[in-house]
Amino acid sequence: MAEQSATSSIGDSVPKVGEVAVGEDLEFQRRWWQFERAIWTFFLLVLLADLLGLFGRGWLAKAKRTDSAQTVTLDYERIERASTPSIMTFHFKPAAIRNGRIALYVSEDLIKSLGAQRISPQPLTSAMGDNGILYTFPVTTTPATAEIELEPSFPGPHHFRVQVSGGQSIDASVFVVP
Amino acid sequence: MATILHAVVGYFLLLIIVRVLARRAGSQMTLFDFVLVFLMGGIIILSTVGNDRSVTNCTCAVIAVALLHRATSWAKSKSPRIGAILDGTPLTIIKNGEWQQEVLRGMKLRPEDIEAAARSANVTRMQDIDYAILERNGRISIFPREDA
Repeated sequence: MAEQSATSSIGDSVPKVGEVAVGEDLEFQRRWWQFERAIWTFFLLVLLADLLGLFGRGWLAKAKRTDSAQTVTLDYERIERASTPSIMTFHFKPAAIRNGRIALYVSEDLIKSLGAQRISPQPLTSAMGDNGILYTFPVTTTPATAEIELEPSFPGPHHFRVQVSGGQSIDASVFVVP
Repeated sequence: MATILHAVVGYFLLLIIVRVLARRAGSQMTLFDFVLVFLMGGIIILSTVGNDRSVTNCTCAVIAVALLHRATSWAKSKSPRIGAILDGTPLTIIKNGEWQQEVLRGMKLRPEDIEAAARSANVTRMQDIDYAILERNGRISIFPREDA
């Protein structure tokens, strides 16, 4: 094969343009230009989706939930990015305060799947049980807020539950993109 | 495992982006093109190795990319169609002295690019060019008229 390639003329095997053996395939190239136009349109749509927050960190990714008993409002990102920190914020209402304290339950999914890194302010107590952790915060006045820093490790949908003592539970989902 | 997966995704993502960018030769690579090479390479590295910057992880990523490159080279040698998809095909820019406007537009070539190639081929007048071919590696081959 190598010997044949070395001795045969280039023009024997390669498509010619006029008298020059080029190997041009203009039909393929025309289809490729069409593909290029499609892929650049796709890239533009990806950037637009990113700007809007479809892949997290944007307007579409932000979510707000309030429990029916009006004890807490939860600000979080319904779309997160793997291995990227984000903040989940709890805005407590006056109804959440009982005996100068707020008791906040967060499900285990929030701790493990969504990778809760730290909670601020530091809770007075943390008690495990009921597939989650119950944090207790001393409170003087409202509005009061608490923040949990998340850093999910694995892509995919993750469900979690939070509840303030005396209120209704909030069940929500976060989709983590790679 | 994640590193290898990221390396595979990064390799094909870079491959498709570089492929759909206009073809330019290494010899014609300008500072403008170098910005792309270094910036895109740097960004892909970040997601490939992630927080694990150990020698083991980086070695695995490099080996994964090397194997992918070898596999695509093998596929190109076996299938001309895959070769055309990955590298493109040569294109005629000037045929019998006539400029092929469709190719010029499609490849976003400027007459200056052909003039530079003509100078390299010791052709000083554009009308002396019989054929100009944009090769798969981005080099422009110039065939002067026999009477030039």
